[in-house]
Amino acid sequence: MRPLVAFARFEVGRLLSSWKFLIITIGFPVIFYMLFLGDRRPGEMIAGTVTWRVYLMVSMCSFGALVAALTAAGARLSGERSSGWARQLRVTPLPAWSYVVTKVVASMLVMLPVIGLVEIVGVGFGGVHLGLQTWLELTGLLWVTALPFAMLGVFIGFMVHAETAFPVVTGLMFVLGYFGGLFNPVSSMPRALQVAAHSLPSFHHASLGLGLLDRQGFAIEDWLVLAGYTLALGLAIVLRHRSEETRGIA
Amino acid sequence: MATFAPLPTASRSVSAPPALCFQDVVHHYGRHLALDGLTFEVARGQTIALLGPNGAGKSTTISLLLGLLRTQTGSVQVLATTPQEAVASGRVGAMLQTGSGSGLPPGVRVDTTLRLVRKLYPRPAPFEVTVERAGIAALLSRQTNRLSGGQAQRVRFALAIAGDPELIFLDEPTAAMDVVGRRSFWEMIRQFGEEGRTIVFATHHLQEADRVADRIVVVNHGRVVADGPSAMLKAAVATKRIRLFCETPDECLFDSLDGVTDVAVRGCAVVLDSLDADATVRDLVSRNVAFRDLEVSCAGLEDAFVALTSKARDRRQEAGR
Repeated sequence: MRPLVAFARFEVGRLLSSWKFLIITIGFPVIFYMLFLGDRRPGEMIAGTVTWRVYLMVSMCSFGALVAALTAAGARLSGERSSGWARQLRVTPLPAWSYVVTKVVASMLVMLPVIGLVEIVGVGFGGVHLGLQTWLELTGLLWVTALPFAMLGVFIGFMVHAETAFPVVTGLMFVLGYFGGLFNPVSSMPRALQVAAHSLPSFHHASLGLGLLDRQGFAIEDWLVLAGYTLALGLAIVLRHRSEETRGIA
Repeated sequence: MATFAPLPTASRSVSAPPALCFQDVVHHYGRHLALDGLTFEVARGQTIALLGPNGAGKSTTISLLLGLLRTQTGSVQVLATTPQEAVASGRVGAMLQTGSGSGLPPGVRVDTTLRLVRKLYPRPAPFEVTVERAGIAALLSRQTNRLSGGQAQRVRFALAIAGDPELIFLDEPTAAMDVVGRRSFWEMIRQFGEEGRTIVFATHHLQEADRVADRIVVVNHGRVVADGPSAMLKAAVATKRIRLFCETPDECLFDSLDGVTDVAVRGCAVVLDSLDADATVRDLVSRNVAFRDLEVSCAGLEDAFVALTSKARDRRQEAGR
């Protein structure tokens, strides 16, 4: 247990001390909220009883969680694997699984302040009003259900070399963001794209938050898709890890 | 003739289990055969060099020893247990090849990294001792990505010994170092080994292997082709090459000359390998052999190495016939 705790503290300390990373991670969703808010009337009803200012806030929370996961886990993991640090850790008593678990947990931890900050901007800049209990429920829900993003980050970190990590991570961020309806409501997209959006975790993550606010009840589809992504990515990470033990790490 | 054949089994220590034991290990990467029945043992407290050209199977050997790769066929034992167990119990330290990377976490101070690695081991060496041994006192407050190749290598050595391991693996440890850096690095290793620890290092520098190791295991094509104390390698390295021209060369005569270990005749050109060039030339004169354009040169370390690896292969092919 001692090695795991020491490693987790080391990782969180590293994340908190890298200002550039934190500013980019937090900056993206906050700036996008301010930029996109003027695209429509903030009070326009988008989905059921949800207004544009709230829709965009929930969407940017999703986007922020996605950015945090892809940069905190994905890009960094890939860098550490390419530099040989990940391999060096493998020859210490730190169990191999705890490296992966710590990466997932660390990127979850980074998501929380990102989600919080987007919400603060939603209140201060967008004029969103919600009750205290709703805020807590929304924050908790968006945070916990961002687990598949963290898994995606770790998976990308395993699959992609450091040199290609940046374009892959950036590309994924925008593909999942745009086609998941985080920048623009899915309902305003062409029919084919609407169908495509339903296969993306980003769409279902935001959809869960919007469902909570709209009091429509939780769509079972959202939970199933997010759980499916989590399991599939978890399995893919395990398989990748196994295959490295037979092939050696490139 | 300089013999550099595998050690007889009688010389193995019977009482204590070996620090390391490879038994008939075969390893494939897809269709590529990396290890082809590798067998060797390392007694506790020995410093051994795994010597071989690039692609000989050295890194695969180290990866298996550290449990980074799963054993496919044969058995690998480290400190009388599996490699995975040995690593998990913190009795093993390693310095791996890192290619172009530093092998260190980016954006972290050296001391933070060392403190972390110490905490991963159950019985780490005192912080100051590790710092002093690796000579990194001046680097402690530096960021890991602001180190030169040689400095990063020293830090990685500190990480490898931080857990006070019984057994340490070094894979091409001096690859990024200059001559001076190499010398001080091997001095560190020598001191570390004097405390009864087992050291296994892979290299393709003959001189390093010769200077540091008690014993050298030469690997080529995934097999042990030669195994013996470094003194034997020295003898092989002492080989001189004599070239001369002779109108009617008699191969048997040349072979019988003092000191000659190998004869090659091509037309009038004769090339002799000799362990004692002076004696060979004296013998040549005393037997009244008519020769011209005699030239003596060092066979060179690389030549000796090539000779070792290729001779062993020839022997194997003959044995296989």
